[in-house]
Amino acid sequence: MGKAKKMKGSQSFRQRLLLSTLSSTRIVIDEIRADETIPGLRPHEISLLRLIETVTDDAVVKINETGTQLKYKPGIIMGGKNLVHNCALTRSIGYYLEPLIVLALFGKKPLSIRLSGITNDPKDPGVDTFRSTTLHILKRFGVPAEGLGLKIESRGVAPNGGGEVLLTVPTVQTLTAVHWVEEGMVKRIRGSTFSVRVNSDFEHSMRFAARGIFNNLLPDVHIELDHRAGAQAGKSPGYGISLVAETTTGCYISADTTVSFGRTDETGELDFEKKSRVSAEDTGVEIASWLLQEIEKGGVVDSTHQGLLFILCASCQPDVSKVRVGTLSSYGVETLRNIKEFMGVEFNIRPDPSTGTVILKCVGSGLVNLSRKLS
Amino acid sequence: MAADELMPSHRSHRTRKAGPTMRKKSEIDKKKRGISDTKQNNPKAFSFKSARRAQLAESHATEKEQKRLHLPKIDRTYGDPPPVVVVVQGPPGVGKSLVIKSLVKLFSNQSVPEVRGPITVVQGKRQRFQFVECPNDINGMVDCAKIADLAMLVVDGSYGFEMETFEFLNIMQVHGFPRVMGVLTHLDKFNDVSKLRKTKTRLKQRFWKEIFDGAKLFYLSGLIHGKYSPREVHNLGRFVALCKPQPLLWRSSHPYLLADRLEDVTPPEKAQMDKKCDRNITLYGYLRGCNLKKGMKVHIAGVGDYSLSGVTALSDPCPLPSASKKKKKRLGDKDRLFYAPMSGIGELLYDKDAVYININKYHVQYSNTDDKMEEPTNKGKGRDVGEDLVKSLQDTKYSIDEKLDKTFINFFGKKTSANSETKFKAEDAYQSLPEGSDSEESQSNDDDEDDEVHVEGKGSEINQITEIDGGRLRRKAIFKDDIGGSDAMDSNEDDFEEADDAELDLDEYDFEEADDVELENEVEDSGDDSASDSSGDYQIDDTDHGNISQWKAILKENARKKNPSLTQIVYGASGSSATPLINENPDISDDEDTDDEDFFKPKGEQSKNSGGGWDVGYVNSEDCSKFMNYGHLKNWKEKDVCESIRDRFTTGDWSKAALRDKNLGTAGEGEDDELYGDFEDLETGDKHKSHENMESGAYDNDDEDAEAVERDGNNPRSQIKEPGYVDKLKEELEIRKQMNQLEMNDLDSDTRIELEGFRAGTYMRLEIHNVPYEMVEFFDPCHPILVGGIGFGEDNIGYMQARLKKHRWHKKVLKTRDPIIVSIGWRRYQTLPIYAIEDRNGRHRMLKYTPEHMHCLATFWGPLVPPSTGFVAFQNLSNNQAGFRITATSVVVEFNHQARIVKKIKLVGTPCKIKKKTAFIKDMFTSDLEIARFEGSSVRTVSGIRGQVKKAGKNMLDNKAEEGIARCTFEDQIHMGDMVFLRAWTTVEIPQFYNPLTTALQPRDKTWEGMKTFGQLRRELNIPIPVNKDSLYKPIERKPKKFSALKIPKSLQRDLPFKSKPKDLPRRKRHSLDEKRAVIMEPKERKVHTVIQQFQLVHHDKMKKKKATEQKKRKEYEAEKAKNEEINKKRRREERRERYREEDKKKKKMRRSHD
Repeated sequence: MGKAKKMKGSQSFRQRLLLSTLSSTRIVIDEIRADETIPGLRPHEISLLRLIETVTDDAVVKINETGTQLKYKPGIIMGGKNLVHNCALTRSIGYYLEPLIVLALFGKKPLSIRLSGITNDPKDPGVDTFRSTTLHILKRFGVPAEGLGLKIESRGVAPNGGGEVLLTVPTVQTLTAVHWVEEGMVKRIRGSTFSVRVNSDFEHSMRFAARGIFNNLLPDVHIELDHRAGAQAGKSPGYGISLVAETTTGCYISADTTVSFGRTDETGELDFEKKSRVSAEDTGVEIASWLLQEIEKGGVVDSTHQGLLFILCASCQPDVSKVRVGTLSSYGVETLRNIKEFMGVEFNIRPDPSTGTVILKCVGSGLVNLSRKLS
Repeated sequence: MAADELMPSHRSHRTRKAGPTMRKKSEIDKKKRGISDTKQNNPKAFSFKSARRAQLAESHATEKEQKRLHLPKIDRTYGDPPPVVVVVQGPPGVGKSLVIKSLVKLFSNQSVPEVRGPITVVQGKRQRFQFVECPNDINGMVDCAKIADLAMLVVDGSYGFEMETFEFLNIMQVHGFPRVMGVLTHLDKFNDVSKLRKTKTRLKQRFWKEIFDGAKLFYLSGLIHGKYSPREVHNLGRFVALCKPQPLLWRSSHPYLLADRLEDVTPPEKAQMDKKCDRNITLYGYLRGCNLKKGMKVHIAGVGDYSLSGVTALSDPCPLPSASKKKKKRLGDKDRLFYAPMSGIGELLYDKDAVYININKYHVQYSNTDDKMEEPTNKGKGRDVGEDLVKSLQDTKYSIDEKLDKTFINFFGKKTSANSETKFKAEDAYQSLPEGSDSEESQSNDDDEDDEVHVEGKGSEINQITEIDGGRLRRKAIFKDDIGGSDAMDSNEDDFEEADDAELDLDEYDFEEADDVELENEVEDSGDDSASDSSGDYQIDDTDHGNISQWKAILKENARKKNPSLTQIVYGASGSSATPLINENPDISDDEDTDDEDFFKPKGEQSKNSGGGWDVGYVNSEDCSKFMNYGHLKNWKEKDVCESIRDRFTTGDWSKAALRDKNLGTAGEGEDDELYGDFEDLETGDKHKSHENMESGAYDNDDEDAEAVERDGNNPRSQIKEPGYVDKLKEELEIRKQMNQLEMNDLDSDTRIELEGFRAGTYMRLEIHNVPYEMVEFFDPCHPILVGGIGFGEDNIGYMQARLKKHRWHKKVLKTRDPIIVSIGWRRYQTLPIYAIEDRNGRHRMLKYTPEHMHCLATFWGPLVPPSTGFVAFQNLSNNQAGFRITATSVVVEFNHQARIVKKIKLVGTPCKIKKKTAFIKDMFTSDLEIARFEGSSVRTVSGIRGQVKKAGKNMLDNKAEEGIARCTFEDQIHMGDMVFLRAWTTVEIPQFYNPLTTALQPRDKTWEGMKTFGQLRRELNIPIPVNKDSLYKPIERKPKKFSALKIPKSLQRDLPFKSKPKDLPRRKRHSLDEKRAVIMEPKERKVHTVIQQFQLVHHDKMKKKKATEQKKRKEYEAEKAKNEEINKKRRREERRERYREEDKKKKKMRRSHD
C-alpha cells in the first residue's frame, strides 16, 4: 500500500472514509476539532468507524488519545447477512446510510444490516427520503432492483431514538455510466408523514398544509400517513414529513424534515440552536416550499443528493457520465474535491445559463468490485 | 501453401471451370435466372426420420451457435490507435531478427543492420507496427507476451517445435491470448521433397492443435543471398497488415507502455559524485490499453513500482499519414516513417531530451514565403512549431553573434549555435503541462546542467511557474535546490504575489539555451478560456521569440482572469489537487462574480458560514449532506410565484419544458444531432439507423431501442432473425462509445486530458525518479521495458486465493511452501503458496503437494490483482533446463485479508488418574489455557471409548498442581495403559513473503535467484532428508497373547443348567483297560491274516509293472509328437515366408504405380 493521504479536520469525514475504502488508500486525518472545547471525534463519527469495521474485514482504525488524529487503513468490503449496528444518537441513521449504501455495492457479499438509532431528524435525510429517492438514484447506475431495499421496522426521533431499519444492498461488478440530463416535468408528488408518541393530528395538519401549496400546480399529490405507536414508535415524541416529486423522466426530487425535541450536546447546551418549535402547519408549508424551490432550481437530483450522484458517477466504468444538477451545493462541491483527491476523477462543470442549472461531465474511474469472488 | 496462389504472376487470368466455388456460382446463377431444382422425386428421403435425432441435431446446432458468440467488449480507444506490437518469438537461431528485418524492409524500405529495441514502422494509412524481438529468456518472454498484439512464432522447420514456443504459447494463454501466427523457417535444409511436405503437415497439425484449427502458419522456404525470398516476405507482410488486434480484458483496463527509448536524466554532477546514486529516468513510448491519468502509479517490469513524477504527451515521432493535411490515396515514400531510437538508425537522432531530425537537403525548402512546406515531422496542425522556429530564424535581422552580444547572458548559446546543422527541438512542442507541478521537471533544468554557468551567483538556477490561483497570477521561482522536494503544495504555500501580471521580467529569469527554443503551441487556443489554464509554465527565452510569447501570455492571463470557469472555482484555479484541501483563501460562493473583499474573512466568520458558500477553509465544518440553506422562502401560495415554475410541471407548457431539456448549454443541439446519428457496427458491418426517440434519456433509450430495432425494416438483421442479446449489447456499447467520443470531442484537449487522462495512442514521455542505478547500468535494448499502470488497490498487498493446476508437462508435483515465481498482472514475483482443496463442507484443507491432474486452491501473499486475472508460475528461470519451465497455470479467485486453511492435528495424551468414568489426561495439553480452548471437544481412546474434555483438572488433583492436565469423561472406564486422542483442525499460517523479481537490475544473462526450495538447498548443502524413525514402516511383531483359563465361580456353576455346566473331568492316572489289553489271534485267524498280506503284496507288484510299461509307452509317444511338430513348424515358416514375399512385391508394385 502506498503512502497514506494526509488530511486535516473533521470536514467531509464520511466521504473521506468512503472514498478511501473504495480506492483502498490509507488516510491520516489530523487536527480533528483540535481547537474546540471538546476536541476529537464525536460519537457519531466513532460509531461510523465501527460500522465500517463491521462491514469490512481487516480495516485498521487508530485514534490517538485525544481523538484528534485518526489513522485509517481500509480493508476488504465484506458485506454479509444479519449484521447489526447501533448508531450513535448524535446523528440520525441517514448519516450512516449515505456512505454505507455506496460501500455495500462494492462488497463481497450482498449486505443486509439492521441499523438502530434515530430514523428521522432535520439534519440528515430521513429514511423515508432514502426509500423514495436515494434508492431510485442507485438504480440508474445499474444496481439491480432486487435486493435493494430499506425497511423501516420502527421509528425513532431525537433525542432518544429507538428506531430500527433494515437495509439490504446487492453487490455490483461495476456501475454503468449515465447520461442523465433531462429533468422532465413533475408528474406527481408523493410523500409520507409520520408521528411517533404524539397525536396523529399533527400529520393531518402537515398534510393539509402541504397539499394547499401544491394545489395550484398539480392535482396528483398523495401523502401517506404513518402513525406509529407502542414499540414501533421509538422512545421520543416527534413528527415529520418527507415529500418527493417524480418527473416524467424518472427523476426524484425530495425534501423532508422532522420536528422533535432537540438533543443536548456533551457540553450541555443544545446541539442546534433551539428554534421555537414550528407548528405542524408551518412545517408542512415549509417543506412544500422547499420542494418547490428544489424543483425551481432544476437538476436531475435535489441538492441533498448531489454528493451521492457525483460519487456514483466517479465510480462508474471509464465512460462519460453527464448529469445535470441545480445550483451546486457546498456539499456537492466538497464531494467533487474529495473525488478528485481520492479517485483522480475531475468533472467538467459547465453552467447552463438558460435554465440556471449546471451540467457536469466526467469519465468514471473504472472502479471494479475487487472483493467479489470469481464464481 | 496458398501463398503462391495469392500472388499470381502476370499471366492472364483464367476463369475457373470446375470446383466447389464454380458449383456454388452456377447455383446462384440458376437461382437468379429462375431455374429451380425441382427434381425432388422423393421428398420423404430428405425429411428427418427420427424425432430424437432431429432434436439432438437442433440442440447441437444451437449450442454451436451459442459457443460462437462472445460477450462484446467496449473498445475505449478513440483517435489514432497505437502501433500494433508484433512480437517475434522463437528459440535462438531460428531467424527471428531476419524476419523482422525483412518485414521492416518491406514496410518502410529501410534496412536495419541490427534489431535492438522496438522498431516502429508506418505500414499503411491507418496501420503502424512496432516490431519487437522476444529475448530468449523466460523473463523477456513473459514481458513480451503481456504486450504482444500479434505474436509471430518462428519455428525451425528442420528441427521441429522447441519448448520455447510452447512455453510462450502458455504464457500468452494465461495473460490474454493475442493474435498468433506461426512462421516455419530453415525449410531449405530438407533435400527430400516428400519429407519436407510431411514435416510441414505434421508441424501444421501440431500447431493447430495448440491454437485452433486453421491457425495461420507460414513457410519461409529458404534464404536467397542471406534473405528470405521477397515473395514469401510479401505474403507474410500482407497477413501481418491484415491483423486486427483484439481487446483483452487486462490490457483494456490498464494503461501500459512499451518503452522504445530510455534516457538517464540524473543531474550529471550527482551521478559523477556517486556512481551508484538513484537515477532519474525518462521513458518514451506509445500509450496503450486505457487512458493514463496523471496521478497513476506504474510498475516497471523487473524493477518495481514507481509514481510518475512527470507525464508529458509528445508529438508522434512516427505519425500516421492520415493526420497530415493532404489526402492521398496511397502511402507516399515520405510517409513511410520509421522510428527505432534504440537501434540508432533512421533520420531521427536523439540527444538527451531532444530529438534531432536530420533532414536531407533536398527535402528542405524553407523560404520567407508562407508556402506550405514539406517536412517529415509535419503533424498537420496549422503551423508546425518547427516551421515557426525556422522561419523566425530566417527572419532575424541580426546575426547570431550580434544577438549574442546583446543578450543578457551569452554563455549558453555559443556552443550549440556554432554548428549550423538544422537541428531543432521538436519534442517539447506538444507538451501539455497543465499543472504547475509538472513544470519543474520540464527539461530545461536538466538541459542546462551541463553548463556550469548560472544566472545568479548563488550557484542555483531558477525556474518559474506562473499559475493562477483564485483569479490572480502567481509566479513562483523554483530554485534548483528544491526541485526534488517542491511540489504543487509548496507552490501554493509560499507564493509571492505580484499584482501586475503584465510585468513578466523575463530577462531576469532567463535560463534557456539560445537555440533550444520552447514555445507553447498556442496558435489554436487563443480564445479558449479553459484552454488557457492548460499551460502553467511559460518557458520563454530572450531571443526574438520572447516578445511574442510574452505578449500572448498576457493575453491569456487576461482571458483567464475575466471569466473563471466553474471548474476552476470548484477545483481551484491552479488545478493542483492540494489546493482545495488546505486553502488559504476561501472560495467564491454561489454566484460567480464576487468582489475581492469576500476573499478574506476572519476565521471565526468562516466557521459560522455553513451551507451557503463553498468554503472549505474551516476544516472542521459539519459533515452534513442535507441542503437546508434555502435562504428566505418564497411565498408559494401566491399564484404568480407558482406560475414561474409552472412549466416544470406536467400541468404547464410541455413545449417549453421540452425546450429546456433540449437546450444543453452552448454546443448542445449540434451535439445531440450528431450524437444519435447513424453508426456502423464495425464488427458485423451493419448500419444502424438513428431512432427519433434516442434523445430521451439513456435509460428510456435502451428499451425503445430494442423495440425500434425490431420494428425497423431497414435493419438487415431483423429480417434474418430477431436481434439477440448479444446484438443488443453490441448496439448499446456502440452507442455508449459514440456518446463518449462526442462528449469528449466537445472539450478542448487540455480539459480532456484532465478529465480522461492521456489517450491511448499518444506518444508519451514518463519521468520517473529514484530508480536504482542498475537499471541504467544494465540496460539492454534487446529486452523490452514494460511500464504498466496500476489500478485502484492493486498496489496493496494481501492474500490471494487462486485456482491452480500444475502444468501437465511439468514433471514434478509442487510442494506447499516451496517458492514459486509467478507472473501476474504486470508483475513478476516470488512467493510461497499454500495449496489446499475444498472439502465438501466448505473447509479448505491444506495439501502437502498439488494434485497430479486436478485443480487445487493456492493461497499466497502478494500485491493484489482483481479476481479472474490469470497467472503463470515458474520454479526456475534459468535457460539451461531440459524440461518445461512453466510449472503451473492459474487464475485468481478472490482475495481476502485472511485465508482460513486448515490441517489435521491429533493430540495424544495418557491418563494419569482414573476415577470410574472420569480420567485425568496428561501430556495432551501444555497449559490450562489450552484446555480452556478445547473444552467440550471429543476425545477417544485407541479401543474406541469416546469421551469429552471437561475442564482443566488442576483443582481436582490434590497433589502439586501441574499445568495441562485435563479432566475428561468417557462412556466407560478406561485403562491406565490406554492412549487418548483428540482430533482437531488447526489453521495453517500462510507465509507473508513476496519478493519482486528485479531482473532489470542485473545483467540480463544472469539468472535471477531468489529464495531456494528446500530440495535445492538440501542438494546444494548436501544435507540428507531428515528421517523420523517413528514414521518408518516396520514389520509388525505381535506376541502371541496368553489368555488365562476361564474360571467360573462355584456358586455360579452350581446355578447353571447341566447343559452349560463345565464337564471337564480330571485326567486319569492310569490307562484304561481298553488301552492296556493285548490281542492274541486264533490259528485260523492268523492264517487268514497272512493270506491277505500275501495277496496285497502280489497286487502291489502287479501295479508297479503296469506303471512302468505305461511310462515307457508315453515316452515313445512324446518323442513321435515332437518329431511331427518340428516338421510342421518348418513347413509353416516356409509358407509364411512365401506369403510375405508376395505381399512385398505387390506393395512395391503399387507404390511404383502411385509415383
